[in-house]
Amino acid sequence: MGRELVTGNYAAGYTLALAGEANRSGRGCGAGAYPITPQTEIVEYLRGFEFTKGAVVPVESEHSAMGVCIGAALAGARSFTASSSNGLAYMTENVFAAGYYRLPIVMIAVNRTLGPPWNIWVDQGDSLALRDAAWLQFYTESHQELVDTILLAFRVGEDPRVLLPVMVAEDGFVTSHTQMIVDLPEQELVDRYLPPCRVPHQLTHARPTTVGGLTWPKETTHHRHEIQEAMERVPEVLAEAINEFEQVFGRRPHGALSAEYTDDAQTVLIACNTMTRTLRRVVEERRARGEKIGLIMQKMFRPFPRQELLRAVTQAQRVGVLDRNYSPGSGGIMWTEIAATLQHRPDILVQDYLVGLGGGDVTPQDISAIVDELQSRQTAGDPVWKEVAA
Amino acid sequence: MSTAMAPVSKTHCDNVLRPGNTNCAGCGMSLGLHWLDEALSEERPFMVIPACCGIVTAGAFPTTAYGVPTAASTFASSPAVATGISQILRMNGEENPVICWAGDGGTYDIGIATLSAAAERNEDMIYVCYDNEIYGNTGGQRSSATPEGVRTSTSPRGKVEQKKDMMGIMAAHRIPYAATLSLAHRDDFLRKVRIARETKGFRFLLMLSPCPTGWKSEPAEGIDLIRTAVGCGLFPLYEVYEGLRYRINARPDGTPLESYISRQKRYTAAKVDPQLIRNFISEQWRYLDAMARAFPAD
Amino acid sequence: MMEMILYGRGGQGGVTLAKLIATAYFLRGQQVQAFGVYAAERSGAPVQAFVRIDSQEITNHNQIREPDHVVVLDRTLIAPRITTGLKTDGWIVLNTPDHPEQYAEQFAGRRLATIDATGIAVANGLGTKAVPIVNTTLLGAVARVLGLEWADVTGALAELEFGGGNITAAKQAYEQVLMQQLAGSLVFSTATGPAAGSAVAGLFDEVVGSQPRIHTGDWANRAPQRRQLTPPCNQGCPAGNDVRTFVEQVSREDADAALATLLETSPFPGVCGRVCPAPCMSACNRHEYDEALNIREIERYAADHGRRPEPLRPIRPQRVAVVGSGPAGLSATYHLARLGYPVTLIEAGQELGGVLRTGIPTYRLPREVLDSEIHYIIAHGVQVQKGVRIKREGLLGLSREYAAVFVATGLQETRALNLGNLHADMVMEGLDFLDQARRHEIFLQDRRVVVIGGGNTAMDAARSALRLGARHVQVIYRRTRAEMPAIAEEIEEAIEEGIELSELVAPLQLQNNGDGTVLTCQRMRLGEPDESGRPRPVADTCEDAIFDVPCDLVLLALGQSPDLSILPEGSEITENGQLLGLAAAPIFAGGDLATNEGTVTAAIGNGRRAALHIHLTLTGEDLFPPEPEPTAQPAQITMHLFKHALREKSAAVAPATRRRTFVEVRQGYVDEPGHHPAVTEAQRCFSCGVCNNCDTCLTYCPEGILQRRGDRDYRFDYDFCKGCGICATQCPRGVIYMAEL
Repeated sequence: MGRELVTGNYAAGYTLALAGEANRSGRGCGAGAYPITPQTEIVEYLRGFEFTKGAVVPVESEHSAMGVCIGAALAGARSFTASSSNGLAYMTENVFAAGYYRLPIVMIAVNRTLGPPWNIWVDQGDSLALRDAAWLQFYTESHQELVDTILLAFRVGEDPRVLLPVMVAEDGFVTSHTQMIVDLPEQELVDRYLPPCRVPHQLTHARPTTVGGLTWPKETTHHRHEIQEAMERVPEVLAEAINEFEQVFGRRPHGALSAEYTDDAQTVLIACNTMTRTLRRVVEERRARGEKIGLIMQKMFRPFPRQELLRAVTQAQRVGVLDRNYSPGSGGIMWTEIAATLQHRPDILVQDYLVGLGGGDVTPQDISAIVDELQSRQTAGDPVWKEVAA
Repeated sequence: MSTAMAPVSKTHCDNVLRPGNTNCAGCGMSLGLHWLDEALSEERPFMVIPACCGIVTAGAFPTTAYGVPTAASTFASSPAVATGISQILRMNGEENPVICWAGDGGTYDIGIATLSAAAERNEDMIYVCYDNEIYGNTGGQRSSATPEGVRTSTSPRGKVEQKKDMMGIMAAHRIPYAATLSLAHRDDFLRKVRIARETKGFRFLLMLSPCPTGWKSEPAEGIDLIRTAVGCGLFPLYEVYEGLRYRINARPDGTPLESYISRQKRYTAAKVDPQLIRNFISEQWRYLDAMARAFPAD
Repeated sequence: MMEMILYGRGGQGGVTLAKLIATAYFLRGQQVQAFGVYAAERSGAPVQAFVRIDSQEITNHNQIREPDHVVVLDRTLIAPRITTGLKTDGWIVLNTPDHPEQYAEQFAGRRLATIDATGIAVANGLGTKAVPIVNTTLLGAVARVLGLEWADVTGALAELEFGGGNITAAKQAYEQVLMQQLAGSLVFSTATGPAAGSAVAGLFDEVVGSQPRIHTGDWANRAPQRRQLTPPCNQGCPAGNDVRTFVEQVSREDADAALATLLETSPFPGVCGRVCPAPCMSACNRHEYDEALNIREIERYAADHGRRPEPLRPIRPQRVAVVGSGPAGLSATYHLARLGYPVTLIEAGQELGGVLRTGIPTYRLPREVLDSEIHYIIAHGVQVQKGVRIKREGLLGLSREYAAVFVATGLQETRALNLGNLHADMVMEGLDFLDQARRHEIFLQDRRVVVIGGGNTAMDAARSALRLGARHVQVIYRRTRAEMPAIAEEIEEAIEEGIELSELVAPLQLQNNGDGTVLTCQRMRLGEPDESGRPRPVADTCEDAIFDVPCDLVLLALGQSPDLSILPEGSEITENGQLLGLAAAPIFAGGDLATNEGTVTAAIGNGRRAALHIHLTLTGEDLFPPEPEPTAQPAQITMHLFKHALREKSAAVAPATRRRTFVEVRQGYVDEPGHHPAVTEAQRCFSCGVCNNCDTCLTYCPEGILQRRGDRDYRFDYDFCKGCGICATQCPRGVIYMAEL
């Protein structure tokens, strides 16, 4: 394909299709498809794609979309779907099921505010609410990052050391419906990058098992711990996957997080998805003015990259977290995780900013004001509610 | 008690349902699974079982009472999960039956949207509802399959509403095959499962399943109760082809309704007025007869 | 704090018992706690519940490991491990009908209480037979053991809204519980419950998907067992035929096997298949459902279609003489010969067969059938002496010459009837008439015949008279048709042929009334039963009670009696059909001579038993069949499992055709392409009380734990049988029953 001017949703659908098609030498691919704004174009693309060996089933709900993915994966296929917001909420039971079944399904979560009242614009609260579902979670700041991370997601999730489903998030509208130039990979390269999917507990008469039956507390503890061990192997597997990605595609996607200008930064701001790109503009402008300021693009949220984060804030005195999500009664979800990680660094002032909730357009001026606020602080406080223009 | 038999581990390991399952003594589902197994013969199925007694009976990990590959799906998902399995099997040239085995809760109530959708898409699967007319797994609450008048823990004064006509709903989907199954009519049961096996697309089988625990009846009498339910006309045996062609397999034979309800405390404790049930039976047959006359299968 | 563990099974109400006990203390102002262990197992699975009682607030939410007392709700759970952690002075309360003393060894040194809570619960209608609910009953026992008042029990029951049988049951238990301090020193159990410490499997481990480890057979409190009952047809057959078996063999289209079965007990299946009154059919349980099996026709089918095995030859040194070649003599001859004895058969007449030949018309029993069966008997190496009449002296001579002598000379004396002095030449004995008829020595052109009697001889005489040209044949009988000893079908066929049957009529005398000879008769009515159990006919006193029947010939068919003069003095003839042996000489009497049972089939059975008796006397070997199992009663047959089906029709010559010929009336079951009425009829058999491999038990076993290894060899896997009892309720023939464990 090469470089194309496409929406984020097109890019995601296109990449999922390529990954599915790449498994034609294996047991094929299966997907459940159900529309919801702003994700709809992805499943439309998948329904239109003519797979050599694949089925995209137009189901009646997100719950069943994930049900079909679970069935397809249990039958040994590569499996994927996409959803947003209340669709993810409706799907939730089966999202957890996929995680605890340990099925390497890939789902695009096009972030949208949970309702009611209804709001179709971006807010990461929908996918972050599923952080405990035993899925890997990646948040992508650009179209290219989205495409590349989808391929990484299959590679990592299907790795026998991991065997967990992977959610790849993109911002509703800002990514999903925005036309950008993207380097879309060729099928041949994807074929090289993604070996046939193998599900070790695929249902088979060779050794009949009952997948998802009953367990006692002891087994449950053991299986949870197995998931934790798998999560802990992700950094290693991801690193390998990135290296190989570079060999195959000639570019190097980000890892668990991208720490920029942090070597000497006393002030570090953390964001995810497209807000990172706005943040980067502010940071670069301020560094040009000589401020020791850096940023962290939080790409992987599950497993939470604690070590990477700690390494990135060596010199930091203040860390500001930009949360486009809100956990009522607590605050920003990224903030709580980051603050917990930085408990080892009591010298750092960690402050949360709730910004752009419900899809508000976060401008460089908004972020700059936050930086000013952060730098003026003597102590950390409750999350700061930052209103934006629209 | 000791046994002279060889250990079952070898002889039973391929059974759909193995010994050592934790279903109650006299559970109709257990017998239904054995007959299903027999009717399928060499064709080994993939099972999808939602949350219900049917999956609890598998027992605790890592053992299982199911001798065939089985997915324990979430409650409302079995036809969706079965869709995924079936689609992938077929594209890999594997023709094994994919069977959803669900209770009335999963079928009539929580799972009906998923079921309807899979039926509408005519997915290649056999959906068997073992209908014990109660939420048995949670200890005996009403479902929309519970007959009018029956006492359950959530209809303590007797259920006010009539039983939902699930066969009618499924026939309205114009699926290739829908039929009711009686555990007291083995030949008819096996024949229908075999027809289902030979048919492509979505097939729906509704089995009235005695639940001694929920029905408050003698475990030993379960099969007789089903025979009586068929005989008195309460549970008609019939088939619907393509949703439009009806065949009645057994007509009421004069068995008194009392011999059905008098042996179940779920009826007797609620002091159900038999006339209510008789009205239900006669309306049901008026409808069925009209359909069979207007749209005969033969 | 007092802590209790309750060991029970799912569905018995263990958690509710915990709550009941707690409630009793709660109402006394105590702090309480009650809870169960919830898992996936079902009705019948072992479960535990816990109770804590204290004066302080209870903050301990752990399971109880060192209880003060334990209660066992199910007898099958009584095992050493229930004392694990139990304090030394703690009570063990067991639900069992046993006395505490019976646990003296197992629970030595313990304080033990027993109560038959299951029995009490069942008697009070609590729960089901498979899972009786014993909680309220046990509350009574536990309360008594713990020193609570009866009012505490009623209070707790009322609080939880238990009434009726629950209160009665609790009261009975409160009063009946037996408590005892067992002697001896304590034995401490360290047994734990479920197997602990096994490695925990990972989600992808090889062991995933293995067989369940739960032996659900432990849940059962009843177990299916198999038995064999005596089918009523077998019970009813005087010949001792294994009726059910030969019927089953015909049902499997194996006439050879069926005939072989018949020949085990009777040399006359062809005869009995035609003329037997078939008490088996009267006894048939299917009569209670739709229509008794037509066993006689099935027997005839087997006889006519089966191949007979090669006859055996004598192998023993002891010679046996048989006097009389009627059915009893021939049967004894046959069975003795089959046992290997060289038999000499002595007959006074010139032909063998006795009453079978002389007394049964050929339209019922064709000569070829009889000849062929007699021929088969003789072919067993039997020596025959015809025309030799044996009297008392001769018999004693035989007893010196032979190792044993069997006398079966039948009924030689006929019962007389005085009809007046007039026209004695118009009165003839029925049997004499039949003998003459078969030899074509008598013709009755245009004559009016009256037959007196209601037995088969009467019917035979009447129908033979018709065939010999009689203008009108009338049978008069003192009682009604229902009491007639003749085979019902014979009566039916006679009437079809145009014979007039006059019931409740007794003859008085023959006289002339001017127009010709008439038999003056008396109308009767039925009175109280006589010693035979039949209603006694008494003279009617109505206006026209005396009337005349014109007639040219009277045939008497009033029955016969034995001529005992052949037997040595001092011989005793018992009346109940028991075989007679004479102490001094090896002489045995049998058949109608000894028993006067009066049917061919009884004579056959009698002859067989005589042979076995003689064999026992000569060798000491007892070949008598064992005492039969109880007879299968209609209530033991699950009749609704069978499809209603009336008898298959057998072929017969039309009345208009047959009434003037001696051609065999009944043609039996005739096979046609695609239609085998004998087989279809045989398939109607319930096989009462005898397994016939129908596999219904296998079919309906919800656990799939029944296997058939071979013929009637079914095995229950009790490791996994939950005792639901469906096999027993579904067994169509009463073979499976549920035994308490």
